[in-house]
Amino acid sequence: MGTENNKGYPKFPARPAPSSSPYASAPPPGIPPPSGGPPTGSDAVGFRPFPPSASQPIRPFTPSGPPPAPQVGAMRPAQPSPFVSQIPGSRPPPPSSNSFPSTAYGPPPPPPPPPGAAPFQRFPSPPFPTTQNPPPQGPPQTLAGHFSPPMSLRPQQQPMAPVTMGPPPQSTTSGLPGANASPSPADFNMAARPGFQQSMPPVTPSYPGVGGSQPSFPGYPSKQVSQPPPMPFQSSQGPPGPPPVSSYPPHTGGFAQRPNIVAQQNLHPSYAPPTSNVQGLVEDFNSLSLASIPGSMEPGLDHRSFPRPLDGDVEPNSFAEMYPMNCHSRYLRLTTSAIPNSQSLASRWHLPLGAVVCPLAETPEGEEVPLIDFGSTGIIRCRRCRTYVNPYVTFTDSGRKWRCNICSMLNDVPGEYFSHLDANGRRMDMDQRPELTKGSVEIIAPTEYMVRPPMPPIYFFLIDVSISATKSGMLEVVAQTIKSCLDNLPGYPRTQIGFITYDSTLHFYNMKSSLSQPQMMVVTDLDDIFLPLPDDLLVNLSESRTVVEAFLDSLPMMFQDNVNVESAFGPALRAAFMVMNQLGGKLLIFQNSLPSLGAGRLKLRGDDPRVYGTDKEYALRVAEDPFYKQMAADCTKFQIGINVYAFSDKYTDIASLGTLAKYTGGQVYYYPGFQSSVHGDKLRHELARDLTRETAWEAVMRIRCGKGIRFTSYHGNFMLRSTDLLALPAVDCDKAYAMQLSLEETLLTTQTVYFQVALLYTASCGERRIRVHTSVAPVVADLGEMYRQADTGSIVSLYARLAIEKSMSAKLDDARNAIQQKIVKALKEYRNLHAVQHRLGSRLIYPETLKFLPLYGLAIIKSTPLQGGPADASLDERCAAGFTMMALPVKKLLKLLYPNLIRVDEWLLKPSADHDDLRDVSNRLPLAAESLDSRGLYIYDDGFRLVLWFGRMLSPDIAKNLLGNDFAAELSRVTFQEQGNGMSKKLMSLVKKLRENDPSYHPMCFLVRQGEQPREGFLLLRHLIEDQMGGSSGYVDWILQLQRQIQQN
Amino acid sequence: MAWDLLLWIISFFVSLALVASVFYQVICLTDLEADYLNPFETSTRINRLVIPEFILQGSLCLLFLFTWHWVFFLVALPVTVYHAMLYNERRYLIDVTEVFRAISFEKKFRFTKLGFYILLFIMVVFRLTLSAVYSFTEDDDLLHLF
Repeated sequence: MGTENNKGYPKFPARPAPSSSPYASAPPPGIPPPSGGPPTGSDAVGFRPFPPSASQPIRPFTPSGPPPAPQVGAMRPAQPSPFVSQIPGSRPPPPSSNSFPSTAYGPPPPPPPPPGAAPFQRFPSPPFPTTQNPPPQGPPQTLAGHFSPPMSLRPQQQPMAPVTMGPPPQSTTSGLPGANASPSPADFNMAARPGFQQSMPPVTPSYPGVGGSQPSFPGYPSKQVSQPPPMPFQSSQGPPGPPPVSSYPPHTGGFAQRPNIVAQQNLHPSYAPPTSNVQGLVEDFNSLSLASIPGSMEPGLDHRSFPRPLDGDVEPNSFAEMYPMNCHSRYLRLTTSAIPNSQSLASRWHLPLGAVVCPLAETPEGEEVPLIDFGSTGIIRCRRCRTYVNPYVTFTDSGRKWRCNICSMLNDVPGEYFSHLDANGRRMDMDQRPELTKGSVEIIAPTEYMVRPPMPPIYFFLIDVSISATKSGMLEVVAQTIKSCLDNLPGYPRTQIGFITYDSTLHFYNMKSSLSQPQMMVVTDLDDIFLPLPDDLLVNLSESRTVVEAFLDSLPMMFQDNVNVESAFGPALRAAFMVMNQLGGKLLIFQNSLPSLGAGRLKLRGDDPRVYGTDKEYALRVAEDPFYKQMAADCTKFQIGINVYAFSDKYTDIASLGTLAKYTGGQVYYYPGFQSSVHGDKLRHELARDLTRETAWEAVMRIRCGKGIRFTSYHGNFMLRSTDLLALPAVDCDKAYAMQLSLEETLLTTQTVYFQVALLYTASCGERRIRVHTSVAPVVADLGEMYRQADTGSIVSLYARLAIEKSMSAKLDDARNAIQQKIVKALKEYRNLHAVQHRLGSRLIYPETLKFLPLYGLAIIKSTPLQGGPADASLDERCAAGFTMMALPVKKLLKLLYPNLIRVDEWLLKPSADHDDLRDVSNRLPLAAESLDSRGLYIYDDGFRLVLWFGRMLSPDIAKNLLGNDFAAELSRVTFQEQGNGMSKKLMSLVKKLRENDPSYHPMCFLVRQGEQPREGFLLLRHLIEDQMGGSSGYVDWILQLQRQIQQN
Repeated sequence: MAWDLLLWIISFFVSLALVASVFYQVICLTDLEADYLNPFETSTRINRLVIPEFILQGSLCLLFLFTWHWVFFLVALPVTVYHAMLYNERRYLIDVTEVFRAISFEKKFRFTKLGFYILLFIMVVFRLTLSAVYSFTEDDDLLHLF
């Protein structure tokens, strides 16, 4: 695989025509002639033969070399040979490499020595070299010209062009174009690319005497190195020639430290950086060579070189730098930060066009969103489009008017808000007004933004107390956790709380503050629900604190001997709705079995494998009874947000229950086969988090954008209240929403598009607030630019949501294929974009920004909601995971899709390692079975589960230290706890740290030993997504499959 | 003859009711799009009309069949069949939670239906007048004049 940087292409157009043609003919500048013998360039010797006659063949390369020849005069074949010899001398090790290029040029040779030095300097500026490359023909020359002041260059330049041209002699003739080109290009470069020039400086100095030729030369090579992939080239091109890659390395110096191992270079992401700097200027793409590797013995692919997101999610920041006033990417991430300017361009962009919004994302210390009170002025908004004032509005008319950035409407500035403008048109008070400098602000909303007084935080609990709830210990854990959280519920002293329990009957609790013990009332009529008390079922926590505590203390005891197996879930839900519909709030449902009585009872439609693969399959994944959708809609209407906790080991129809959470902006927690001894901690932690995290109540969210584009579809857990208004009864930092936009006008005339997310909510403290995030993205006319600004994270997030939605109306297979097709289409379009200019051969090419897209695509297909068939995951697990993934913010989703796998045994053995020093273990490994060494201990962490994998040959000491005396036992029965020795403490601190990294879920720890089937397969092997499993393909197959489809027409 | 006239009078009112009902539904949907109505209200309003409409339309279709009015029956049949299919698949009600996703389809569906109903209505009006004139003239024995 190689990284190819064809940068500068776009710019080139400026150049004279001649250059254009060259492209086609001679694709990659750096391309070594394939035949050219083994990459090992070490031997200058190989070249020798060429020099004289070879000049022609070599030419192709010359482009790179162009500069060299300069003064010497056009290439002279004769010289080469001597030349070559010299080179080696000049640079002992690298020489060969240099020699290669130089040989081509023959003339320049002598200078080589300097090159060695120069190379380093060059490197820093990748752009430079790159530019040269592309244009084997023209550009290089231009550069050369640049560098070398002397005019003499021109002749040489011709040589560069050569590839297209045949023999050397011709080159001279052909030179014409080149000659023309040279002057102009030079100018062009100078003017156009600052970066370029900067790079130059170092060069020139180094080569004072030598002449510019060399400087360019070195740079060139470096570029090549980066590009590549020697192998790809060879396969594609045939010219015999010098060994490409090897030869270059020397020059590259800093770049490629190991010339020989080109492939590895590709691996290193570090590579990319240089190119990225130049992004604005040059075009680049990465490629995976799918032909066999020339140097290696085995014919297969080098899958180790495939891109992997081992550094986790990388947030796009190029635009954060460009538009520092944009909101942080944790709040709003566009799938591409370059908006297409026309519908036709948008239709060529086969990836989703949209955004992922996480309006309340947690902020690190010190970056809190500023709170603004406009007081009597009222909130400053555009009269027409209702946009909130933001950093991108402009003030005119000496501060009396402001122009809305979204609709261009000229609005008056209210008197109280007036401020004079300084000479630059900036408001004088700019620095005191965060809303004019920050992309994210929180505005206190006056009473016009309330339809009723802000509601208090309300927590209502609907708890199943049938036999399984008590047997599993769920009831006890829940009661304890709620009690322990009473102090931390947000919104003291207004917080309200209430309980209903149910089995085959409903139990209401009067918690009036004047009572000392709660009164229980039982309602047995399930068909006609009524509330036994009008009030006091929902009470103020601070007033009734003692009663509530007394209730929670006695709750587990009360139902200790309950043998009721029925569950009147539907009627209980109705009752809770009746209690809550005055105020709304958060309803937490703890369900232990399939609802069996009254409205909303569900059938055991479970896992009938015969249904899979038929058209009826999807029906299993949607709510069975319309009761649930109706209830969900009603709850949303009355501002009730529902969180569902499900505990049964049997089928509970999460598809139906989850519907309640989905449309009320809640989430589903699923603990299959709950046992308090095993899952207790997890439930405790997650319930506590659910109860105590900052929550926004009775919220609505809208995203506005500039004229000509419109958000058309929304994906996530919420209900649409109108075409673009998301109703969110309760939101918190762990929820994200995705949306897609489309162009309404055939052509956008603006330069930029603004997006503004506004979340109107009631804070727990009782204040009504509006959180506003503003962001801007440029409008572009170039598809390549869109790819360069793409954000894999949000694209993957959108894809995952689309796929899950699709699985609710189609077969799993269809949903998976849809994802695959989308990726294929996008990459195909990208390939077409570059196919004209490059010989792509059998390489798979993709933009740097999307290098992980194929892998994440594979991960989506293998994720729990979408994987395999009926045997691979139970229906409930699938649905629960689906509901969870629909709400996950980008980072957490990516971690779930491509989890961390780290090896810890060596770290544990290191004696003095600091407990806090976790850097050593942050080395993520590819998710493939071959990453697992049977002598090692590994941790697999997807944010929801931690799996400790003990290799079969792991030293017994480690196992004993970690597991105590149980170390030889079957690990499923071993509880993981601290053993009181250093190693165990160290591991526990690591586990703790991993958990703290992401507090939204509490990953449970599983221990498994290699070969312990079926647990091993179920816990770990199944999740090694790069491996082949069942009917699904591994990473290599997947890439091949994509490539095959991309190449089909 | 009187029976025939009665048939057409009944058909007239039934098809008028159908047209009115579908028209009202379309209006509700456009209101929803324009944000004059919220999804809860829209779906309640539309859903309570759905079943009566199905019943009316179905019985009209049967009426035509039993009275052996082939052409009318065939005009009414496609809609009846489609209704029956929707009913069997339990997709006949507007899903309040996903109404915005389905809105374009629902509108198209109702516009098409509206077209059918109006066609039917025009045909019925035509036959009604014909039949009325016919019975009228018969009474007056004017038929022989033609």
